[in-house]
Formats: sequence, structure tokens, C-alpha cells
Amino acid sequence: MNRVPFGRCKSRFRATILLSILLVFSTSVLKAGIFDEGDAANGQVLFNANCASCHKVDESVLAAPGLGGIAERWGSSEEMLVKWIMNPNGAIESGDPYIKSLISQYEGSFGIMTPQPVSEDQIKDIFAYIANPPPPPGDPEDTVACPTIHDNDDEVSSAAGIWFLIIGILFLIIALSAAGANRSLKNASLESQGKEPLPNVSYTTLVMQWMSRNKAFVSVIGLFAVCYFVTVSYIGAMGIGVYEGYEPEQPIWFSHAVHNCENEIDCEYCHHSARKGRHAGIPSTNVCMNCHKGIKKGSKTGTEEINKIYAAIGFDPSTGAYKEDHVEDPIKWVKVHNLPDHVFFSHSQHVEVGGLDCRNCHGPVETFISGRISPVEETNAQNIPGLIELSKPTLTMGWCIECHNKAEIDLQSSDYYIEMHDRMKSNERGQEELRAILDDGKATVKELGGWECAKCHY
Amino acid sequence: MNKRRTNLFIVAAASMMLASCTVNDNSPGLEFMPDMYRSPAVEAYVDYGMDPYNFSDSLAVSQRNHPSARKPVAGTIPYGAQSELSYAMPYSYPNTTEGYEASAANRSPLIHNQENVDKGKEIYDRMCIHCHGKKGAGDGTISANGFILGIPAYDGKLADLPEGKMYHTLTFGKGLMGSHASQLSSKERWEVIEYVKVLQNGGKLVEGNAPATEEVEVAEIVEEVIEEIHAPAAH
Repeated sequence: MNRVPFGRCKSRFRATILLSILLVFSTSVLKAGIFDEGDAANGQVLFNANCASCHKVDESVLAAPGLGGIAERWGSSEEMLVKWIMNPNGAIESGDPYIKSLISQYEGSFGIMTPQPVSEDQIKDIFAYIANPPPPPGDPEDTVACPTIHDNDDEVSSAAGIWFLIIGILFLIIALSAAGANRSLKNASLESQGKEPLPNVSYTTLVMQWMSRNKAFVSVIGLFAVCYFVTVSYIGAMGIGVYEGYEPEQPIWFSHAVHNCENEIDCEYCHHSARKGRHAGIPSTNVCMNCHKGIKKGSKTGTEEINKIYAAIGFDPSTGAYKEDHVEDPIKWVKVHNLPDHVFFSHSQHVEVGGLDCRNCHGPVETFISGRISPVEETNAQNIPGLIELSKPTLTMGWCIECHNKAEIDLQSSDYYIEMHDRMKSNERGQEELRAILDDGKATVKELGGWECAKCHY
Repeated sequence: MNKRRTNLFIVAAASMMLASCTVNDNSPGLEFMPDMYRSPAVEAYVDYGMDPYNFSDSLAVSQRNHPSARKPVAGTIPYGAQSELSYAMPYSYPNTTEGYEASAANRSPLIHNQENVDKGKEIYDRMCIHCHGKKGAGDGTISANGFILGIPAYDGKLADLPEGKMYHTLTFGKGLMGSHASQLSSKERWEVIEYVKVLQNGGKLVEGNAPATEEVEVAEIVEEVIEEIHAPAAH
């Protein structure tokens, strides 16, 4: 009963041989191709579309190990690699020891790869591309026109002032020593003639004597000097509490031009509490990491500045993992827009309710490097819809109330205004007030209480 | 000789005063009542470790050297309107591979209608567009500039991605994408998902009410995690 018929056994044997021949053949076909042949140009397209979000072509880590040197490193069969790419879960279930070791090595750092919709031929192309990646580009050309305010900065004016001062001091020293030498020479010649030397008078006395001789000249010069000093001190006094152009050095060389203009990241991506709270918000380091986990080299400063983010949050760019037990060392950004304690200002009231563009108050930030208080002339020079042009210096009270006087409110723009509008219309006194507000056909912030002291000071 | 030295001193002092008038971007300029600008009252984003007016004596040590930009404490519930709060319940799926797979069962609490889609589009255009592109094809500016490549298209590779997994990814991040939980409230995350689902569907809205959240699998996973946490303590 338990004897197996010879014929069946033979056929099974034959089938096994056939199968193994087939298997060997198929692997040898794969071996000939997977790392050797393939269209690298097509591979590049496929790589960028399917792999580049996690893998790099060199050995550096992105969101998964780099693929550089994969041909030498891969410790299992090549079909297993193909299987791993097309169906990772299937490859894990096959129980391959190398795959198992990979999982245990990288578990926790990275997730498991998703199945990739590529064919075997396409995988060959991709590996051809990985084996021969294009040389890294040199200095990236500035293709995007994003000029910054520092591009046409002329430091000449202040430098010229310093040179003028130095020359002036040198001239004074020369003049004084020449006068001294002149005196000694005169004294020497008088002595040789046997006369009395000049009386030892001070410079002050000499100047006083000269002034009394040239009264008209001195009074004209004096008038000019008084005018000059009055003007200078007036301008100086007007600059007290005016912050225009304040641009303190920040702990990291961060460029608004690169982020906002070149890469078109919205202001509110980083300053994300502008719609919700009083402060627009300085992004916490984890927000930087949303992009800089992958972007490890900046276009302007290379790795130097981005490494400061990594140091703060405890990220190792070479392994692509966060350090364990790292206590975050917050980046100490210097506050630029600083209002005194007795002023209340809310971003959400202006951005969410008022619907203002950030640039209306902050100026052409897309041309700035670090945070800066835009002078009112620069803000006015922008070409943006609905810009309210102002004349007083930015961030002064005159500037605030000038805008509150000019800015119009659409009484249908929010539920609050619609409700208030309806209530006012419903009784006689309200109608009267409404008529007073709308006498010029518009409702301004001032007319709705924007000039009440307690609106901002409390 | 003494007079001469006095004169030289006056000239030097005058030139130093004049030289100090050059523009310094690092200085805020003259302030009227500086203690109103840099007061001992704690303000956001001020580094009290660098307090130039030396108010430090009146400050608690814990306030010093702890300025500005920090990640919100884990489990922080936003302060705000009641309508937001109802979405601010703790998220029960753990940040693991299993949690990601299980989150497919999670359902949006929002009704799928044009209003929510419009709200989502507004958020998408601020928060997502620079990477994922205008129509979600993964061709945003950052991708076009060659910084982050291979961002999958919503109507391509991600066409079948369930909303629960989207929410999981937004909350914890996945691959190169980081967590956006500190930037978007729970409600905003669901709103932006409403718009992403429209992009997934080639720009068409699938209307309908949201089904109830399937809590069973979540409870199982949470139990497992709790067991894992307590396991070493038992030994």
C-alpha cells in the first residue's frame, strides 16, 4: 500500500529537475541583468518618481538607507531583491535570513517600504542609474529671480563718513603741530634778533582774539552751526522709539528670500499661529525639520547653518535618526517686532478677521534675509492688491491709528458684523448711529471704535 | 602743553560721538522708556537670559534661558472655542507601523460637503502646496527646485489611501514628511483631508455623511501597547 508506483515517482523526479533547471536559468538571466544592464536615463526618471522620496543614490540616509553600493552590499539572492521591491511584505513572509536581519537592523528608525509599482525591467533601469549616478551639481545657478535688499546694499556711505573723520582728525593734528612748530621757529628767530619771545598765550586765547577780529564771519558760521545742531537733534529725537530698519543678527543665518520667494513657502506655514493667536509665532524646531529632515544642504550656506538646527533638536544627519534622550536646546531667535508692555496687538484680529496680507504691515519680506522692520517707504512701494499706504514710521502709534482711520470694513464680511448691522438697523438710535458711520459710504475701523484708547491700551 | 592735551581730548571725544552715529542693524535705536519694551513681565519669544536691563533678579530661574520656539508639551489641548475642543480628543492610534495600518479604520468626523472642502483648500494652499503641488501631483516648488523628490501623487500612488491613514500621517509624519500636529489642529487636519480626498478623486467631491469611528481595533492596539509598557515592570 505504501509503495509508490515507479512511474509516478519518475515523473515527479523529472519535474523537479525541470523546475530546478528553470530556476537556475531564470536566476542566471536575472544575474546577467539586474545590476549590469539597463537604461540609466529611464532609471533616473523612475528613481525620482518612486524611490527618491526615501532613498538617495549615494550612501547617505534620507528616510531610508542610501542605495549606493547596493550591488556589493545585498546579502541575498537577486530575485529576493526584486521581490523586496515589488512586494516587501511577501519578502518578509518568505523568511529570508538577510531580509530578517535588515528588518531587525532598521526597525524603529524607518517604516517598512511600500510595494513599488515597477516591473523587473524598470528595476534594472533603476539599478543602472544607481550604479552610475550623475556627478553632483556644482554651485546651483540662481535661476529664480529673488533679489534681496542686501544685494544692492552700499556700505560706502558709513565707510566714507569714517574716512572723513579720520582725515579730519589727522588734519587737526597736523595743523596743531604746524602751529606749534611755527611758534617755536618765530621764538627762535626773535631770540636770535635779541628780542623778547612771544607771550605764552593759550590756543583758546588765540582763537578768541581771532574771533573778535572776524565778528561777521564768526556770526554767520555760528548761525549755521546752531541750525545744524537743532536739525540734527530734532531728527535724532524723532528717531526715538522708531524701529524702522532694525534687523538684528540671528543665531541662524535664515533667509526669508530663499524660503518664501525661491521655494514659495507660505508665511503661515512657519508663522502658523497668525490666524489663531496674538503672536504670529516663531516656528519651533520641529517645523524646520518638516523639510530639513530631507534637505541637509542649503543653496546659500551649505550644511553650516542647517547643522545648527540639527544640533538644537538632536538629529544626526548621517543616520537620519533623532538622538535618544536629547533635551531640546531651543534656538534663541532675537525678537524683532517688539511692542511696549502697554500695547495690545493681536495677529488673529488683523489676519483672520481683517483679512490683511502679511506684507501690508511687514513689507516685502520675500526680499529680506532675516527678520527686519520694514521702513514705511518700502512697504508703500509694493504692488499688492488692497495695500493701505501710510506715512508714519512703521510700528509707531501714529502708524497704527493712521491705518485704523483709513482701513475700511466690509459689514458683510463676518457673522459678527452682520449680526451687529442687523441689530443697529432694528431700532431708531441704531439707525442714527449707522447713518453717522456710513455718511461717507464706508465704515472705517476708527468709526467702529478703532480709535478708542482701551482698544489697544489696557 | 596741558591745554593742548585737553584740546586733543575734546577732538577725540567729538569724533567718537560722531562715529557712533553710523547705522547699526543690530541696535533697535533709542528707546523711550526702555523698561516698557523689555519689561520683567514675561513676554513670548523673549530670551530673559539675555535681558539687557538686568531684571533677572526678579525673575524665577526657570524662566531664564528658556525662550521662544519650543514644541508644545505632549498631550497639550488647545485653548480655544468649544467647537475646536470637540476635535481635540487624544488620538488613540500609536505611532508604530501597526498603528499606521490600523488607522485605516479611522473615519473623519466631518461631513463630506463643499463647505468643508473649501476650508480644506484654504489650509492646503498654505500648508501643503509647496511640496505636494497645486493639484496634489507631488510637483510643488520644493520638488521642482530639486530639494525633495518623488513626492507621490494623490491621484496616482496614493489614490487608494484611506482618510484614516492620511490623518495618521499628518499627526505623526511618515517617511520624509514630518508631523504637522503642532501646526494644524485636529479639526484643520480633517478639513485638509477633505480637500485631499477631492484631489484623489480627480477634483470631484463624493458627498455623504461620515460613518461612525470604528473604535474596536483601536482599543485592542491600545491594550497591547499598555501591556508592552507594563511587561518589563512585572519581571
